[in-house]
Amino acid sequence: MTGVTSAPWRESFDFDRPDIQYLKIKDSAEKFAVVQFGVCPFRWDPLSHSFLAHPHNFYIFPRQEIPGDGLSNEFLCQTSSLEFLAKYQFDFNKCIYEGISYLSRSQEEEALRQLDSLYNDNSGYSSSNSRNDADAQLVRMADILFTERMKYTVSEWRAGLLHEGNTGSGFRGSLNTMNQTFQTTFFQMRPALVLNGLSSRQLRLIKLVTEKDFKDLAYVHVTGENSVAQKLIVYTDSTSDRDLLMSEVKACQKKDSLVKIKSAIGFRHVIDLLSSEKKLIVGHNCFLDLAHVYSKFFGPLPLTAEEFVSAVRKYFPNIIDTKVLINSNDELFLLMRKGSTSLSKAFGVLCPPIGPGGTSSDVAGKPRVKVEVQVDDQRFSNWNSGAKHEAGYDAFMTGSVFSQSCRNLGIDFNSVLNLPQNEKLQKYINHLYLSWNNKDIIDLKTGKILVESLGSNNNTSTKRRNPKFVFSNTVLLWGPPSKLRAKDIRDCVCKVFGVGSIVSICHLDETAAFVQFSKEELVSDFLELKDSLEREKNSPVSILHPLSKILEGGFVRAANYEMYKDICGSSLSQVLFAEQAEVVASNPKAGVVKLAVEVDSYYPNELLSDSCMK
Amino acid sequence: MFFKRFLCSHTAAARRRHHHGKQWSVKQVTNSNFSEALPEIKACIFNSDFVAVSLQKTGGHSATWQRILPIDTAETAYMKVKDAATRFQILQFSVCPFSVKGSKVIAHPFNFHVFPRDELKVGMPSYSFSCQSSYLTSMAREGFDFNACIYNGISYLSKAQESAAKIQTGNLSPVNGAVEPSSVYSVADTIFMERIESRVKNWIRACKDSNKTEVADALISSLRKLVAGSEVFGSRPSLTIDVCSERQVPLVIEALKEFVDVVPLHVTAKGVGVQAVRAVLTSSKEDKTLLEKEIQDTEHEQRKLVRGFREVIDLISTSQRPVVVHNSLYDLALIHSKFQAPLPSTMDEFKNSLLSLFPHTLDVNHLMKEIGPFDKMNNVQAALSYLERRFSAPIDMDISNQGKKPTYLKHEALVASTEEPENTNTHGHNVLRVCQLFVKLCSILKIPLEFPEGERITQLAPSLQRTSNTFSSKVHTADDDGVGIRSGNSEKVSTDNLVFLWGLKNRKSSRNLKNLICDSYNVLSEEFDVRMLDRTCAVVVFWNAGVLDRFLGMVEGSGGEGLRCARYNTYRRVCESGLWKADLAECFDETLDESETLSRTEAKLEESVIYWNDDEMINLDDL
Repeated sequence: MTGVTSAPWRESFDFDRPDIQYLKIKDSAEKFAVVQFGVCPFRWDPLSHSFLAHPHNFYIFPRQEIPGDGLSNEFLCQTSSLEFLAKYQFDFNKCIYEGISYLSRSQEEEALRQLDSLYNDNSGYSSSNSRNDADAQLVRMADILFTERMKYTVSEWRAGLLHEGNTGSGFRGSLNTMNQTFQTTFFQMRPALVLNGLSSRQLRLIKLVTEKDFKDLAYVHVTGENSVAQKLIVYTDSTSDRDLLMSEVKACQKKDSLVKIKSAIGFRHVIDLLSSEKKLIVGHNCFLDLAHVYSKFFGPLPLTAEEFVSAVRKYFPNIIDTKVLINSNDELFLLMRKGSTSLSKAFGVLCPPIGPGGTSSDVAGKPRVKVEVQVDDQRFSNWNSGAKHEAGYDAFMTGSVFSQSCRNLGIDFNSVLNLPQNEKLQKYINHLYLSWNNKDIIDLKTGKILVESLGSNNNTSTKRRNPKFVFSNTVLLWGPPSKLRAKDIRDCVCKVFGVGSIVSICHLDETAAFVQFSKEELVSDFLELKDSLEREKNSPVSILHPLSKILEGGFVRAANYEMYKDICGSSLSQVLFAEQAEVVASNPKAGVVKLAVEVDSYYPNELLSDSCMK
Repeated sequence: MFFKRFLCSHTAAARRRHHHGKQWSVKQVTNSNFSEALPEIKACIFNSDFVAVSLQKTGGHSATWQRILPIDTAETAYMKVKDAATRFQILQFSVCPFSVKGSKVIAHPFNFHVFPRDELKVGMPSYSFSCQSSYLTSMAREGFDFNACIYNGISYLSKAQESAAKIQTGNLSPVNGAVEPSSVYSVADTIFMERIESRVKNWIRACKDSNKTEVADALISSLRKLVAGSEVFGSRPSLTIDVCSERQVPLVIEALKEFVDVVPLHVTAKGVGVQAVRAVLTSSKEDKTLLEKEIQDTEHEQRKLVRGFREVIDLISTSQRPVVVHNSLYDLALIHSKFQAPLPSTMDEFKNSLLSLFPHTLDVNHLMKEIGPFDKMNNVQAALSYLERRFSAPIDMDISNQGKKPTYLKHEALVASTEEPENTNTHGHNVLRVCQLFVKLCSILKIPLEFPEGERITQLAPSLQRTSNTFSSKVHTADDDGVGIRSGNSEKVSTDNLVFLWGLKNRKSSRNLKNLICDSYNVLSEEFDVRMLDRTCAVVVFWNAGVLDRFLGMVEGSGGEGLRCARYNTYRRVCESGLWKADLAECFDETLDESETLSRTEAKLEESVIYWNDDEMINLDDL
């Protein structure tokens, strides 16, 4: 993807409540673009007792294929992410020049609806249009002259047609003098005049003349076989024939735009396939990836995690996250030797002969799962595309890690027909990390957050470093960076509320900090005190009050934890939290409402590793 | 085989060149050849009379109504531009210093690939930026090399960022000699200085001693180092003297003056100013100058790394040459926000700040208006071909790049130069078109562009003087009352006479809406006109204020249909609020709701005037 966080404070923190984690993920998925998408279907081959993998790497780009509503496809790029991609030799030219376009389902619906409304009320529209064009002023002398000349030319052409039998090619001669601007051709079995090389204004005038002065001529504008727009004046036998022709042309245009919309779906066909096949989708730490898939290929992301999860369930009923699997299964976790559970690490440990370095053929006493790779009719038993962080390779690694993990769990691929229903996987299926930082796991079936990690023994890794954060005891402070030193805040607050009043102070960025109090009442006390101090700014009490030192005459603002949610829910993204908070706080509605409407702002991502498993 | 392929690609390139017709060679500059190109362009700028500038950016406006519309005043237009300039990014910056001699233009085009890479790892110049896929695809159509840009683009820091970065990354900077020796020292100061002096004296003695007594044990020497607090700066011994406040810094410097061989350096630390002074001991006078030069060099290197592409902007700025731009407001706002400082909140502040950067800016678009009403000539190419047809103003472009044989090319029939195949790509040609257009326009308008040999521009030709520094695209800014109502169909309309209308049930054309208003509100169609601003919102202009009030009353009275309306000051607030939603109607809704809660502070309506132009139908199909 072109980025992960749209501002430093949008990164995931320990003190983010799950709903806020979702809002942050939602923001990321909406703002950034997916530039590469890896899909690697795995098939179990019972004869050779091995998996056959077909890694695919798609370059995609949110090109605007169909004319929108004046809304543009826009996405954000995080400079550091682009540098990261550049470090791994990502080919930006390929992506932008040849990347596959796509259209989400809701965009497609919207486009079709527009198409319908355009062609349904077109009858009334065109007639009123011609009336309006009629009163369009012919003010300029040049316009009048041109109109008269065209009138003459067209009537000459028409006369020529009518007398073609007698006079032969008498007209052709005079046409040639018009230096190729007009060429006679046939359109839908009717003689027609092609108009070339005229300006749009001239064409408008010609259209006007044709409609006003010639009852049996029709001005149409078609797209030729080689998709070149052509303007024609077509001769028709009668008015009914003319109407027939016009409706034919219209139907043809509608069909064309329909085809255009259908072809604009592009890469979404792949996603539709993944969804319709109901296969098990395997990803590695893939909640963000899923959010990207949803916002790019289905529709705008819902406002809450619960709604999102239920919407996802419709499209992808079975998802497994290898990161969850490895971290919550004791045996696998031990195997990782408490090291990092990043994808490449897991791949190295679990699939050593495939991954670099290892030589042993057994993984912790369990037989290794053989994975063969097929790319363009060529089979490899030891495939290594070498391209690190390439989406297709990541997908392959994810699938390999998963298949080996299954073997270690004791799943026999020969006997298992329906992997998603396998009881050994039930503990892990559809469980995803909402954010790795907090280790909060969300259950896609219920939308509930599983606070306790699944595995029992690896509490060592999931234990929070900080004592549990109590959201309702927390005040959010923001303001100029120099005023927000943790030590100053602690000193001032302790003077007012007592030494034990503050549990912790965490900085969001240099312009904002969370102050956690020991009791919930202290939050409202603090906010009330702050208000009253600011009201009587110049009274001696407020000047001498210890809190005034950090509040600095209203430059430092404060709010409770709910405000943080509103601020995160806003579609804006200022780099500094204080700036963002100011905008959101001054537009109270801007944060809460909103988002459902614009379908235009899809921003996409990159290393999506989905693997479809049989 | 290889040869064959080479031939193939060569002919393909040749064909492409043929396809493009004219071929100018533009010097392409990336990170790898930037330091060589810098002195070249410096010479070119200072030898030329004008500098044309053209940018390739990642986006323009996110939604229809966020373009600069004819209904915008200078202030609202600036708000729109400000938003766009902060969000989008420059990927290519073409600079073309040029002079005019007779009908000949001597141009030196350079094309810089720019990318906001974080060279110093301090999260600057930009955390993220927006891209519009339509802009990227059209760049791709022109053959833009995104890999070259991202892998190898030149980074930069704006002036404001540079000073912020200096504070953030602690580094050493030499003490400039002009430290005022303050005459009044308190007793404490004198004691402090004496203590410093004796400490330094001891340290120097220790250093010299250790040089002599080489037999000293390793342990002892390291212990001695520890005691003396001496460190090593490069190959030279140094001593760090901590200070408690900025005030002590000049005292330390003063004290160090006693020692001829010691070079003082400031140690600045993250977040705070000078934290300590480091004294470096040199062995001789020559050694001292050598050290000073070394420090200067590293500082210079550092500065180059920090400023990056901004060096070019600084060069243009210091040269005081008039800057020729097309579509000036947006481009200049971009330049200001990326290379100078974040954009100020008002147009006037922006103008002042820009004047200090570029004293003269000339907008080609504006000059076009002098010739006639071509409001739609936003495209340089279209404007050029229009001029070609209407006027005879032959201009020869003489494009020369330093270090290469100047290729003299007549622009009507340019011959592709066959050497340097990889260099003759099409990047950055727009800047040449801009300068061609400018010269053509001036020759049509009979504005002299030649300057006598040796005499530098202190005064622009009066006709240019008038148009300089008016940043306008369609907006006639306040300082621009010279151009009046020229064409019959452009009328002055006070912003008081505008009403914004939204809440329509389904999409309508402006014609439909006009009929609807005629029918349901009993207003004669001669009394007003309607334009759609985007799919959700329209603007209605009333020629008569009385009718407007009546209309407003009726809309507010009827209420039920969901139709809402607002006057111009609400629109102004929308632009100021920074809520750039895709649909204008939504912005209006939110702004109105907010103003209701904010106890209706009525903004003072100043008399501003915009031009209502019938030619500027906002055509939804164009967007």
